[in-house]
Amino acid sequence: MIHIVRSLRWTLIALAVSISLFPFYWMLRTALAPADQVFFNGISPLPSSIDWSNFARAWEKAHLGNAIVDGLVMTLSILVLQLVTCIPAAYVLAKVKMRGSGFALAVVIGCLLVPAQVTLIPTFIGINAAGLANSLPGLVLPFMTSAFGIFLLRQQMMSIPDSLMEAARTDGLGHFRTLWNVVIPIAGPGIAAFSVFSVFTHWNDYMWPLLIARSPSLATPPLSLAIFQQGDIGFDYSALAAGAAIVTAPVVILFLVAQKRFVQGMSGSEIPG
Amino acid sequence: MTTTTTQPQPRTAAAPRPGGPETAAARKPRGRSRLVPVIFLLPAGLGITVFVIAPALLSLVASFFKVPLAGGRWQWAGLSNFTRVLGDPAVLQSIGNTLAYSAMTIVPSLVIGLSLALLANSVGRGRPLVRTALFLPMTANLVAMAVVFRWLFAFQGGFVNQLLGIAGIGAVNWLGDPNTSLLTVALVGVWRSASFSMMIFFAGLATIPGTIHEATKAEGIRGYTKLTRVILPMMKPTVVFATVLAVLSSVQAFDTINVMTQGGPQGSSETLLTMSWKLGFSYFDLGAASALSFLLLVVLVGIGLVQRRLLSGGSK
Repeated sequence: MIHIVRSLRWTLIALAVSISLFPFYWMLRTALAPADQVFFNGISPLPSSIDWSNFARAWEKAHLGNAIVDGLVMTLSILVLQLVTCIPAAYVLAKVKMRGSGFALAVVIGCLLVPAQVTLIPTFIGINAAGLANSLPGLVLPFMTSAFGIFLLRQQMMSIPDSLMEAARTDGLGHFRTLWNVVIPIAGPGIAAFSVFSVFTHWNDYMWPLLIARSPSLATPPLSLAIFQQGDIGFDYSALAAGAAIVTAPVVILFLVAQKRFVQGMSGSEIPG
Repeated sequence: MTTTTTQPQPRTAAAPRPGGPETAAARKPRGRSRLVPVIFLLPAGLGITVFVIAPALLSLVASFFKVPLAGGRWQWAGLSNFTRVLGDPAVLQSIGNTLAYSAMTIVPSLVIGLSLALLANSVGRGRPLVRTALFLPMTANLVAMAVVFRWLFAFQGGFVNQLLGIAGIGAVNWLGDPNTSLLTVALVGVWRSASFSMMIFFAGLATIPGTIHEATKAEGIRGYTKLTRVILPMMKPTVVFATVLAVLSSVQAFDTINVMTQGGPQGSSETLLTMSWKLGFSYFDLGAASALSFLLLVVLVGIGLVQRRLLSGGSK
């Protein structure tokens, strides 16, 4: 009986893992297959021969080198702005008793519930009117702060014992020193997790760059890939898959490196295993 | 921005170092600047006001106006945006599609996510590997994955149709047939958000103390009964959190649809979000688009209420 349960469990796990990984595998297989054979390779697990030139073609035709630089600059600018705005705000909401902070927290939570597309059109009109369409600030500014980041970091900072804050206060540390020397080191894992989340979100974002980055020189990786697909390349699946692999690789690698810390920080609890 | 916040600090921070003889004075709580917390809140407050609160309110207001895209005066339009939008068969179709897409994705991704979390949790050796494999769909770039899935479901040469061919079943035009396009996009949605739900459930399961498992074992409570009577009630915050995120990601599905079908064929995979996008940025009817995104908010709140009722009913 136990034997059956165990083998059933492993069958299910094998099935789930296969479905989960299959698209990645097929992406790599297609990216490595010679372009003219993709349609005739059937479903053999390996390509008939390896052809690395698909990556070069995707890199060149989808302007991925340019796009990756754009994507990096945008993603890191957003990250820096979000850390600079979210960390001090989270500190105040978590550890400073002041009038109106309950209201401020309620506003932050309320903003969490506003779906992005409700704000999309007015934000676009505003950015457009400010002459920032088709510019890096136009890509970055709307994400200068993150209600989610403030909320997540506040939750993390709440767990810092008040006695520690009191000690910092009696030692004569002002708010800035307390934040810098006491709170940030302790909230480090949460800050790291939020940073990974922010980089994921904005590296992968498609909707806003699709609106704002009109000239190809400003396109981010997902946008370049989408434009590449909609162009006359549409049936060169080898190059498309190679492009998809190039765009996917950085975040997947980042996730593999930061996985444990990320999941832990996002959910506020330790994961076993 | 940072320099202004730091400036008043070094002076107040450096002055009262606890010295030797005057420890009593040093131990006395110093009155700290009341201005600094306000300055700390200011940048975030500015960002939230300008880029969340103001646009959300404007969106509501704009749904009652005729809004020219290039700027210029808004003209009062009363309820005409709403009546126009709701009288448009394409919009009604997109509302139906949104509900169908939600039905096909929300519950399946929650159930699959929970099952996977339980399954992965029960593994001894090799757990980190299983977990990482199951987390990967959540991290991948959705545009890139949509490109790959479009190829997997391609009518000619696509993997799925080749597999069906081997099984002796004729090829299905997954993305090109109005009857299957929404289903195909929804499958990708489930692939993605089941992984996300799994991560949340996995972390939630980890918060249940080992003593609970021992106690249920001693009482002879196992399997399904243990799950529904003990585990899920203990993880209620996790369940609510996962549900909220699953609803949000379903209703906000955009990348996959835009890349795989562009809402077609014949509007069969158009959702409220892609429809309001089209109205706003392809037809430049921003008033109608705002009215539609306002309706989307109503749908979201509606789904939230229904789910809340289901959730509280289910746990009794």
